[in-house]
Amino acid sequence: MSDFIVFKDVSKFYGEVLGVNRVDLHIPPGITSLVGPNGSGKTTLMNLMTGLVHPGSGTITVRGLSPFQPEKLMRILGYATQYDAAPRGVTGYDFVVAGLLLYGYAPGEAERRARQAIETVSMTQAADRKVAAYSKGMRQRIRLAQAIAHEPSVLVLDEPLNGLDPLVRAETIALFRNYAAEGRHVILSSHVLQEVDVFSDQVILIANGMIVAEGEIKNVREEIHEHPSQFLLHCQNPSRVASLLFEETHITEVKLDPEGRGVLVLTRHRDAFSEAVQRIALSGVEIDGVVPTDENVDALYEYLIGGGR
Amino acid sequence: MAVFRRGYQRYTGPLVSPWQRLLVIPRFVWPRLLSQRFVVVLLVVSLFWPLACSVFVYFANHLELLQNNGAGPLAKVLAINGAFFSVFMNVQSTFAMILAAVAGPGLIAPDLANNALPLYFARPLSRWTYILARMIVLLSILSLVTLIPGLFVFGMQASMAGWDWFVAHWTYGTGIALGFLLWMITVSLVAMTSSAYVKWRVVAGALVMAFFFVLTGVGQIVNQVLRVQWGSLLSPGYLMLTIWGRLLGVETPWEGGPDATECMLALFVLIGVLLAVLLRKLRPVEVVS
Repeated sequence: MSDFIVFKDVSKFYGEVLGVNRVDLHIPPGITSLVGPNGSGKTTLMNLMTGLVHPGSGTITVRGLSPFQPEKLMRILGYATQYDAAPRGVTGYDFVVAGLLLYGYAPGEAERRARQAIETVSMTQAADRKVAAYSKGMRQRIRLAQAIAHEPSVLVLDEPLNGLDPLVRAETIALFRNYAAEGRHVILSSHVLQEVDVFSDQVILIANGMIVAEGEIKNVREEIHEHPSQFLLHCQNPSRVASLLFEETHITEVKLDPEGRGVLVLTRHRDAFSEAVQRIALSGVEIDGVVPTDENVDALYEYLIGGGR
Repeated sequence: MAVFRRGYQRYTGPLVSPWQRLLVIPRFVWPRLLSQRFVVVLLVVSLFWPLACSVFVYFANHLELLQNNGAGPLAKVLAINGAFFSVFMNVQSTFAMILAAVAGPGLIAPDLANNALPLYFARPLSRWTYILARMIVLLSILSLVTLIPGLFVFGMQASMAGWDWFVAHWTYGTGIALGFLLWMITVSLVAMTSSAYVKWRVVAGALVMAFFFVLTGVGQIVNQVLRVQWGSLLSPGYLMLTIWGRLLGVETPWEGGPDATECMLALFVLIGVLLAVLLRKLRPVEVVS
């Protein structure tokens, strides 16, 4: 069985409204983040891979299983939507147990697993309280608990970090990393781009229902040749460094860092820039360090989909 | 690309049967339904008529008690036959309709309002399973006022009248069971469909009642305007009474009109249409139209 989630030329239209258009993806295990503006098709992609909606054209396989086989697929897949969907009056513990019973676990096994999942998301103390009385972050965590309780191979989470406080957020990200390290898929969407940047193994940037970039953040960045890369040169004499850099043909912009750390440089050619920095350093001008400033998703996002956000 | 080794074990232990899984869906509905005072009152009130019928059956099988107490003429009209069970079913089916109108609207509307359907369908469940699970709630609660009292009264009569009566009239039992089952399925589907499309419970309940009365009215209008009789096929009440009449071997009060077979076909079409309308609404995600 393949360990990949594969989309082949997948399109989905809701009537005349575009969901996603001609999507080709090959998602390996690990943490994959779907990033895009509202209405760009992130949730549609998630619904497609979970089989909740079916593509108008193209094929999808999730670890070798078709979304048209929900009996098999849903056993390896855990999904947490962005909505609060617990029945009225139910406690967090009952909510997770009910989910496990739907998978067919015997009551004893379901209760044991529910306790375990609730502990994993640090909700043990609030487990017996009603979901309706939970804060937004607690609801987020209990949804995560019901998604991981049956130990899925593929975890699909729609905006799972919304409403979490920093401590819980860090714990949740650690959980994602553990899952990914075990060879599982963790697919998530988020509007908090800096967080995605930090822990994702790869990103899928989507805009207007189309994939605009896919891969490791660094690789995606390198593929965007037409847009210059930005670097910050930490140095003692920014004006001198700036004048030397202006002589290089591949440099498109040089400006002094407003925070006084050095020089901000835009270049169209990373290798040539690297050589230029070496030459400047060897000429005796002190350069303390070179830091890429746009290898995060936020920058990519800006580059690729510009004002779409 | 990072390389990951599979470092986890999936659960490979035994799973419970699909039927047990089915009962998980309505597990939170029962307490909510039975906490509604009107539902409980309606359940209690609806048992008065079966109780009266049980007393009727008792006296019908103990005529000497009436004759000894000077009620001999009354004893002559006490007959347990198809007409008796037909009247019993008519009364109880009305209670079933009201109960469905009260209990039904709370079944699906909350799931749609909460966007809970993706949660259900992200489990190994199909839409059919979901509908069946929801319908089980209504079928079981409607059984309390239809099937169970009906078979109880029939069983009581059979036990008092003896084996010979049972052999001669066992079709009453199957008629009660089948007749009530058809009625329960019909009103359950109407209530669930109404619940799926209307989120306000009072309006959804009223819609359930209106469904039966309006269709009956439309059927009558068709009959009068077009001078035909097939308009009666639009009336769920007409369909059920005709089918029950055939099942219990009782003459229907009206002459002419569609027969039981035609009514059965019309009822299946009605059930099919209700299912199609319900399935159209039960999508795991909101679909832009």
